[in-house]
Amino acid sequence: MSTLIRAAFSAFRVSMRLRVVSPYAYLNWLVFPLLFTTVGLYVLSRPGAPVSHLAYGVLGGGLIGYWTVAYLDGGNGIQDERWNGTLEQIFAVPTPLVVILFGKVTGSLLFGILSFIPTVALAYFGFHALLPHVDALRFAISLGVLSFSFFAIALTLTPLFALWRWAFQMLNGFELGVYVLCGFMFPVAIIAPWAQGIADTLAPTWAIRAIYAATTTEGAHDYFTWWLAAIALSLGYLVGAYFLYRLVEKHARMSGDLALA
Amino acid sequence: MESAAIEARALRKTYVTTRGVLRRTRVERIALRGVDLAIRRGELFGLLGPNGAGKTTMVKIFTTLLLPSSGSAAILGLDAVKDPWAIRKRIGFVFGGERGLYWRLSGLDNLRYFADLYRIPPQISRRRIAELLDRLGLAGRERDKVEHYSRGMKQRLHLARGLLNDPEVLFLDEPTIGLDPVGARELRLIVRELADTGTTIFLTTHYMFEADAICDRIAVIKNGSIVAEGTPSSIKGVVENQGVVEFEVVGMPADRLVGLRGLPGVSSVVVSEHDLAQVVTVQCARPADVMTQLGMVLGGLTLSKVSSREPTLEDAYVQLIGESL
Amino acid sequence: MNRVAAEAAVFARSTYLQYVALFQWATVRGYVAYKILLPVTQILFFVELGVYAAGRQNALYFALGNALQLTANAGIFGVIATVANERQFGTLPILLGSPANRLVTFLSRAIVNVIDGIATVVVGLLVTVVLFGLDLHHGNLPLLGLCVIVMSLTTAGLGLMFGSIGLVTRDAIIIANIVYYVLLIVCGINFPVSRLPGAVQLISYSLPLTRGVQAAREAAEGASLQQVAGLLGGEVLVGLVWAFGGYLLFRVLESYARRGGLQEAY
Ligand SMILES: Nc1ncnc2c1ncn2[C@@H]1O[C@H](COP(=O)(O)OP(=O)(O)O)[C@@H](O)[C@H]1O
Ligand SMILES: [Mg+2]
Repeated sequence: MSTLIRAAFSAFRVSMRLRVVSPYAYLNWLVFPLLFTTVGLYVLSRPGAPVSHLAYGVLGGGLIGYWTVAYLDGGNGIQDERWNGTLEQIFAVPTPLVVILFGKVTGSLLFGILSFIPTVALAYFGFHALLPHVDALRFAISLGVLSFSFFAIALTLTPLFALWRWAFQMLNGFELGVYVLCGFMFPVAIIAPWAQGIADTLAPTWAIRAIYAATTTEGAHDYFTWWLAAIALSLGYLVGAYFLYRLVEKHARMSGDLALA
Repeated sequence: MESAAIEARALRKTYVTTRGVLRRTRVERIALRGVDLAIRRGELFGLLGPNGAGKTTMVKIFTTLLLPSSGSAAILGLDAVKDPWAIRKRIGFVFGGERGLYWRLSGLDNLRYFADLYRIPPQISRRRIAELLDRLGLAGRERDKVEHYSRGMKQRLHLARGLLNDPEVLFLDEPTIGLDPVGARELRLIVRELADTGTTIFLTTHYMFEADAICDRIAVIKNGSIVAEGTPSSIKGVVENQGVVEFEVVGMPADRLVGLRGLPGVSSVVVSEHDLAQVVTVQCARPADVMTQLGMVLGGLTLSKVSSREPTLEDAYVQLIGESL
Repeated sequence: MNRVAAEAAVFARSTYLQYVALFQWATVRGYVAYKILLPVTQILFFVELGVYAAGRQNALYFALGNALQLTANAGIFGVIATVANERQFGTLPILLGSPANRLVTFLSRAIVNVIDGIATVVVGLLVTVVLFGLDLHHGNLPLLGLCVIVMSLTTAGLGLMFGSIGLVTRDAIIIANIVYYVLLIVCGINFPVSRLPGAVQLISYSLPLTRGVQAAREAAEGASLQQVAGLLGGEVLVGLVWAFGGYLLFRVLESYARRGGLQEAY
């Protein structure tokens, strides 16, 4: 057991070190979030727009950064390992893939959450936008729930990326669609009803609903329902992930697809 | 009785890929067509074959990275299909080429990472890593990033990684590919040393001299089938008659040619016109014997550029691989 | 005569290489992901953001702006990727070593991407028509088309500049990403340029897209060529200046490389 924990920790450490020297990581946690925060705050602060909407500009960029690093970096990391020829190596060690990815994903989350620092700073210093009514406790719990849902998604998707590069391409292309469905920068309530139906199957959507509710005194505050929904969906993903890992291990050994073709 | 280090029975592998997006077609490629092999513990075994013959496929099946389509593979008596986790702890593998390392990390960090993934307790791994760095001539450079390593250093780092768990069986897939002659030689010496200290080694290569130089036993694979197996010298026996004596001569009468053909062990004599001179190529079993009798058969004629060579493993290889191409 | 033939050959070869390079990542799946999904979701995201801030009645402003910004998708990513590919495949020294006209060689990089850019905008405009009911009945369609072509060229001009910079950095794609999203902020795509600080507005007007998008918005509402001629002329000029600057930089780097100073370029 202790050697497994050590292996996961080692994977975590190596993923952090690779990230610190990779320019793409900075693009995802620093540059993109700042650019989105800028556009978001300009649009949301247009003359005549309600002040209460500003919270979405203050936090939206950070949420985008957090999400992007959590899952996109994981996907990129896997593609890098494929190019490097290390994907095959980490597959053939006596440590199960899920343990290694556990370490890697934890690294992604820790790095991703840093996105809130530059974006909130930009909102404050650049746009004098603040979150006046934060319910700190519920905000923190909601952020924890969101982290768990990101963790579950990243852990589920990463093995998919290992096997099917096109899955990563597709999700990459659909990136901004995820921002819409999860309500990173505006409430899901404004999008088309059928799209809301899809959004409700995504765990982060519920956690983000709770996060934004914790920044305002207006509107509904069904925290428990939202947290529960997010956690239940995340657990559901993890159950799916269990089968996915078995499938990936089997399929990879059948097709020999882990090496770069 | 102790089980063989590596054993394959009727091992087959067919890759199935699909092509096209709209109309998907299944493409099957047979990489191994029923391979039987048994490798004893402590043996340095060479698998020799051209590109695409199926060498990597076989190594991947043995290292549990790939499932065979049928047949069985066992490593140290453990089934490669059913028992991958037990096998992974006891084997090491190194694929040739520069890939497979984290270039942006130091050599030491690469080794530490894989030591943890191999679940080696830290007090043991620390000692082993120091030993390996020393033994493979990387000590002093271990804190440099891998991207600044030479090709040969990268390959030795690969080998160090493959040896982290003190494997009982080591697989080396074309380990010297892309190395300069000096680097390749160094690596071969290290591999031979390893074998001498008791590690079973399964090495693939498409350089015959490499196999000839260090392997105890060789199998030649072609198109997914083993076409010859044995010690390097027994495989050279395939080409008994492939020794060559060659010389140039001016104005050789036809009767001398008959005499030449009549010498013991000569299988063919080919004469090609070359300006005024003729170039004569004699194929024979024992070139040295033919050389001593040349003067007798061709007395009076002036020979120039006389040369001879013994059959090499390369000749055997070319014959084996070239057959029915 | 020989010279012209040689130049034509290089032009054809490098255009072909770019075509191959482009279609290497543009597998059917890649094309769907990056040339359809990505543009469509970009439009959706910013339209919904705009709707949240400004109400459903203003959706078109955002839809049109983002559809037009897609010219930059090919102009910036495409051109920079072309250069990155040349580096990766090592075809650059061949181009540099050839006796072909430098300007021709240089401009040939943009060709495939300009065409690709126009196609991307057509996809984007179709989406705005279908999803957001962009009503072009009163619009000046030929003029709108002209605006799109002009912007595809001018963003490619900017792309050529960054393509040259890409010769000396390993991470050109990162630069492409940043430039693309900076254009999204400063060119009046989602909010008027006038809301930016004065200094940033200076940058806006020295970049392609700013005037072109303005002209295209007016064309979509039925403006005539005369009414937007000034804007379009300015747009063309800006694009030419960037392309020329990129060419100069390319020549500087080339001579520098020849003196052995630029290992990175190879
Ligand atoms: N992952 C794969 N998918 C499909 N075909 C493969 C795959 N890997 C190898 N092959 C094919 O199997 C054959 C044997 O390949 P390989 O084992 O790599 O040969 P070698 O290592 O001797 O060069 C070749 O024809 C090769 O094209
Ligand atoms: Mg091979």
